[in-house]
Amino acid sequence: MQYEIQCQPSYSVLELQLQPGEQVVTEAGAMVWMSDNLNVTTSARGGLLSGLKRSVGAGESFFQNTYEAEGGAGLLGLAPGQPGDIVPYVLDQSELYLERGAYLASTPDVECNSNFQGLRGLFNEGLFILRASGTGTVFFNSYGDIEEVAVNGSYVVDNGHAVAWEPTLEYELTKARRIRSFLFSDQLLMRFHGQGRLWVQSRNPRSFANWIYPYRPEKSSG
Amino acid sequence: MDIQVMDKGAFSWALVQLHPGEQFVSEAGALFRASDNVDIDVTTRQKGAGGLFGGLKRLVAGESFFFSTYTAEDHRPGEVGLAPTLQGEVAVIESDGARQWLCAGGSYLGSSADLSLDTQFQGFRGMLSGESLSFLAVSGRGPLLVTSFGRINKIELDGNLTVDTGHVVAFQDSLDYSISKAGSSWIQSWLAGEGLVLNFSGRGTIYVQSHNPDEFGKTLGPMLPER
Repeated sequence: MQYEIQCQPSYSVLELQLQPGEQVVTEAGAMVWMSDNLNVTTSARGGLLSGLKRSVGAGESFFQNTYEAEGGAGLLGLAPGQPGDIVPYVLDQSELYLERGAYLASTPDVECNSNFQGLRGLFNEGLFILRASGTGTVFFNSYGDIEEVAVNGSYVVDNGHAVAWEPTLEYELTKARRIRSFLFSDQLLMRFHGQGRLWVQSRNPRSFANWIYPYRPEKSSG
Repeated sequence: MDIQVMDKGAFSWALVQLHPGEQFVSEAGALFRASDNVDIDVTTRQKGAGGLFGGLKRLVAGESFFFSTYTAEDHRPGEVGLAPTLQGEVAVIESDGARQWLCAGGSYLGSSADLSLDTQFQGFRGMLSGESLSFLAVSGRGPLLVTSFGRINKIELDGNLTVDTGHVVAFQDSLDYSISKAGSSWIQSWLAGEGLVLNFSGRGTIYVQSHNPDEFGKTLGPMLPER
C-alpha cells in the first residue's frame, strides 16, 4: 500500500492510495476525503466483544470503518481528531502497544485488541491499552509532536505523554522517588525498562483540558 | 548544560542535557520525559522565591504552586524534556547577570538552578481587571526558558512601546515600564475590550507572543458546560 503523510508535523494528515481490492481499516470519524469508488463498511471488527473491549477498554471507537477500492485505484485522506503527528509502524508477526486514543488506521491483517493493564491501569489513563498485532502497518497519532526514544536500560515518561511502545519494554507506574515530591506532585510517571522503541508526544491533552476548566461559566444559582 | 529547543512545528519543547550533578528548575509538572537517573524534587522553594509564602504568591499569579528541581545523579549525565501546556514556541534567554528579566506569570517554563526567581506582585490594579498581572523576576547568570501561546516575537526596543499585558512574555528591567489602561478612561478601555497595557520606554529586549491565552480561554469557556 502506498501512502504519504502530509502537513507534518503539527497538523498531519495521512493520504493512502488503494489499489483495486486493497483494504484499510480506520478509526470511526477519521475520513477527510475519499474517491467515489471506495466502498465503506462499518462494523465492530472481530465481533461484539472485540468492539466493546476496544471502546470501553481502550477508549477507541466501537465501530471501525473498512475502506476498499473497487474497479480502480482510490484515494483516502485520514486525519486524527487532535492536531499532531502521525507515525507508521510496520508489524511482522509482532506487536505494538498504543495508549488510549493513539490508533488511527491499519492494514486489514493487523488485529487491534485491548490489553489489560492490571491494577496500575486504575491510576493510569485507563485499565486497558490497545495492542496491535499481526503483519502489516499500523498508523498512530499524537497530540503535539512525536519523538522516538530508543530505550536501552530505563527511561521515564509522564503518563499523559506516552503514545506507543514496543512489547520488549516493560513499564511500571511510579511517582517521583522522594517523599516530598510524592506528596506534593500529582504527576504520574511511567518508568520503562528494557530495550526497545518508545514514542512520546510533546503535549498532554489532559493538561490542556485542565487549563481550560477555569474558563467554564459558573453554575447560576437558583 | 546544553539546551536544545525542538521546534519542528506548533508544539515546541525543550530538551535539557545535564552534566553529572547539574541541576535545572521548572514549574512543577512541566517535565514529560527524563532519563532514569534524574532526581525530581518538588518544593515551594527556589532560590529567592522561598517557602510557603513564595508558593502562595505564585498561586495568586496564576502559576503553579510548586517548583521542581531536577538533578542528574549517579555520576552520570542526564536529560529532561520540558513542555508547556498550550501550543506554541519555547525560547532560551541567556541571562547575563547584568540585568534582571521579568517573565510573565504563565510564560515561565524553566531555568538553570543558578538563577534566582522572585515573584513581583503588581498589586491591586491587576486584580481589578481580572487579568493576572505578576512577573517572575529572574536574576543571575544562566539560561531561562520561556514559552508562548502562538509565536514569539523578539523586539529590540529603543524608544517607547505599548504592549497588551496578555501578550507580554518577558522583558529586561533596563526598560522603564508602567501599567495603565489602554483607553483614556476605564469605561472606554472596557468598551474597547482592551484591558491593561504595559508602557515601555528606554532600551532593552521584549519578547511578545502572537496570541493571548486568556482571550482563547474566554472564547472556549462559554461553549463548555457550567462547572
